[in-house]
Amino acid sequence: MKRILSILGTLALLATTACSSDDSTTIDEEKPTISVNFTGGFPQACESLKRGETYTFSAKVTDNDALAAYSINLHHNFDHHTHDDQGATCDLSPIKSPVNPMLIVENYTIEEGPKEHTFSIEVTIPEDIDVGDYHCGYSVTDQTGWQSRTSIDLKIIE
Amino acid sequence: MAITSILSAQNKPSIQGTVIDAHTLEPLFGVNLIAKDGFATTDQNGTFLLKTKYDSFVASHIGYADKEYTITSDTKTPIILKLKPISTELDGVTLKGKSQQRLAQESATVSIAVDEEYLHANRENSLMQTLKKIPGVSTMTIGSGQSKPTIRGLGFNRVSVVQNGIKHEAQQWGSDHGLEIDQYGIDEIRIIKGPASLLFGSDAIAGVVDIQPPKLPMPNSFSGEVTILGETNNDLLAFSTGIQGRKDQWYYRGRITYRDYADFKVPTEQINYENYIFELQDNNLRNTAGEEANSSFSFGYVGETFRTETFVSNVNAKNGFFANAHGLEVRNSSIDYDTSNRDVDLPFHKVNHIKITNNTTLQLDNHTLKIDFGYQNNQREEQSEPVPHGFMPTPPDSKERIFTKNTYTLNAKDVIVINNKHTFSAGLNTELQNNNIGGWGFLIPAYDRYSIGGYLFDHFEATPNLHLQAGIRYDYGLITTKTHTDWFQTPRQNADGSTSTIFLQRATNSRLNFSSFSGGIGASYLKEHTTYKLNIGNSFRMPLAHELSSDGVNYHMYRYERGNLSLDPESSYQIDAEVSYAKQKFSFGLSPFANYFDNYIYLNPTPNYYETLQIYEYTQAEVFRIGGEASIGYQWFKNFNVSASAEYVYAEQTSGPKEGFTIPFSPPLIGMFSFTYGKEQLGIFTDINFTTDVRIAAAQKEIVPPEEITDGYQVIHMSLMGKAPLFSKSKPIQIRLKLNNLFNTEYYDHTSFYRLIDVPEAGRNIAVSLTQQF
Repeated sequence: MKRILSILGTLALLATTACSSDDSTTIDEEKPTISVNFTGGFPQACESLKRGETYTFSAKVTDNDALAAYSINLHHNFDHHTHDDQGATCDLSPIKSPVNPMLIVENYTIEEGPKEHTFSIEVTIPEDIDVGDYHCGYSVTDQTGWQSRTSIDLKIIE
Repeated sequence: MAITSILSAQNKPSIQGTVIDAHTLEPLFGVNLIAKDGFATTDQNGTFLLKTKYDSFVASHIGYADKEYTITSDTKTPIILKLKPISTELDGVTLKGKSQQRLAQESATVSIAVDEEYLHANRENSLMQTLKKIPGVSTMTIGSGQSKPTIRGLGFNRVSVVQNGIKHEAQQWGSDHGLEIDQYGIDEIRIIKGPASLLFGSDAIAGVVDIQPPKLPMPNSFSGEVTILGETNNDLLAFSTGIQGRKDQWYYRGRITYRDYADFKVPTEQINYENYIFELQDNNLRNTAGEEANSSFSFGYVGETFRTETFVSNVNAKNGFFANAHGLEVRNSSIDYDTSNRDVDLPFHKVNHIKITNNTTLQLDNHTLKIDFGYQNNQREEQSEPVPHGFMPTPPDSKERIFTKNTYTLNAKDVIVINNKHTFSAGLNTELQNNNIGGWGFLIPAYDRYSIGGYLFDHFEATPNLHLQAGIRYDYGLITTKTHTDWFQTPRQNADGSTSTIFLQRATNSRLNFSSFSGGIGASYLKEHTTYKLNIGNSFRMPLAHELSSDGVNYHMYRYERGNLSLDPESSYQIDAEVSYAKQKFSFGLSPFANYFDNYIYLNPTPNYYETLQIYEYTQAEVFRIGGEASIGYQWFKNFNVSASAEYVYAEQTSGPKEGFTIPFSPPLIGMFSFTYGKEQLGIFTDINFTTDVRIAAAQKEIVPPEEITDGYQVIHMSLMGKAPLFSKSKPIQIRLKLNNLFNTEYYDHTSFYRLIDVPEAGRNIAVSLTQQF
């Protein structure tokens, strides 16, 4: 029994010495947030965008600690694969094959790690791209590496 | 009486005999025979000569029930004594070094032997799920039919799975890849908890699941068995039959297994994941059905000093993945998954694993020479709906990824016994791997891997009760990766502001070599009913191809994974101990450990993006871990046993970008209570055993991105086993009824693959299995 206690004692000691040195480390366990539910948030669910027009894509991102980067991914939903998590169900056009679909795949860093940021991206819808159902996917990361995503159904019309 | 009365007290009379295993009838080496005035140990042939003037003695052996033997006037000498193995399911963590070698029994290594009886009594949907009851052993499950082992919270390539002396090489690195081994026809598994690179090489950094070769059939015998199994949760139907036979010196075995199962049911009607809601039809987790067909054959020769056996096996499986959220990508599909719960649509994977191994042992005086050779071919196809993504247009077919792995293994080992005190082993492990890739989804490049390692190991019997061991090992490894270029073009901004489209190169030809020293010392001390063990050592693991040179989108996980060519071999330093006590009604075990990695490799989510996908990068950090297992068992009444066990691991990264966080897939604190009631006879039934297990897990709040906190749970499993003389009195049919998740509890396992997409564990399940020997 003595031996058991001495082994346990050694290990307990090892545990306390090893843990006590970095008890001060606080870790970030919160994800950032992303939202278009504010004045100027764009696009809203089921919105129709006209070819040739210029729009300001905008979302508000927040984090408890420090924001790091965001991305925008605009791609067609001609195959109805559906990403939307905005709660509204939009009317979808019939399934079709893409010819010259619009595609935006862009990432941006958020400098100086603020806790709140509203980004705006100017996008001109080209005249020659396919009309139909599209998705706009936004995502945001914080400095720790947590990520949040959202996506919005929209239409591009003549 | 007759013997004692003839001889005088000065010249003690002696008892001669042989000790054999009651089940296998093989001689047992190193059995202690204790009389009031004498002591003897059996030799290699199981024989002993015990000098005593008393007419009774006790035979005891680790892993076997003690047996008291009384000589009567009509006892014929030499006597034959049969010892029965202790079954692990009653006391959970009984240390069982059941092999003939006392070396293994008195080894300082903390290991657990799992026998056929345990495997039969606890059989779950996959081999590793069956081993989940063992404290410190856990599983990473992928749906209902697949899983792979984790030991003390470490898994993937940190646990070596060894079958017949050859390291099993599949695609164990992937989080949605299972282990491709037929779980039927396995007699014994030894599990080593703790670093075991010393004898098993790279990858055994967290432990080893060592599947032992089946036991030798008896001379001039033929036997076989048929097992059928049905389950309600996933409408599984399984069939396995095996035969074995032996003339005098030649023997053979064969086995066929077939399993077919439907989608598994979860106790929820919808899955909520990242604000998306998926309605489930009839609680079926759609498209998680699958099938598995395995066959194996072996033949061997056993002589006085020579034994050889050649195994050939093939495992073939096809499994679907949960269709709505395969990995982290959220998609709808036009496939009508709900027409049948038995069909497998996209996405799914198909695997085929061919294995040919030969084990040869040669005994020369005090040398035992062992040579193991293995060839394995692992073919894995991951198929999913062709979907355009980023700059990738719609792919031509559903073949997303194909992995072909050929592995050649050669191990040689010489064991020399010197003065009956030192058991000295010198060994060499070599392995050559050739990996090819195919399909439209690139994740890891094609690569070759060559590794060679040599070790020296000594087991020293200082006194019959004190054993010391020490070993040293050196390894060298070479990985050559092959170049890979995308099949589609990606636009790139040039320096002058113009844009051009290029075929991106994902991997380059590279040549990396690694070498590492490892070593360890240990001691074991046996005192009456208590065994003490202590080990200190280090272990290592070579970085794998995906850790070094991934460079692609993991569509299953909806993220971009990037390797790091400058990774060092992972090394781990560990101290671990074990105290176990077993005496008649009471058993107790405690196995604590502390462990430090100076460069633990993991996939770190960075704050950065690549084409709108979050970049995950393989990174190294210092990690400190501490934990252990405790178990206690008590035989309350003659027929009633209770046991309790607990397992816990605390892990913390002490450097790097995730300093202060734990490591991925850390298991929570788990407690287990087991109640077993046994009855020898009830009507026509014999060997009746009724068990209730209560598994309690605490919440896992120690997480690292992108994990989420998992709540605690309590789940109850029950089983009822017995035998009935249906076809034959001597070979009664074995009946087993199992009830998993009694209350159909909705709970989440933090280490399950589907946890990431908020899918709970399987709901209530009733399983019926029948085994008939012939």
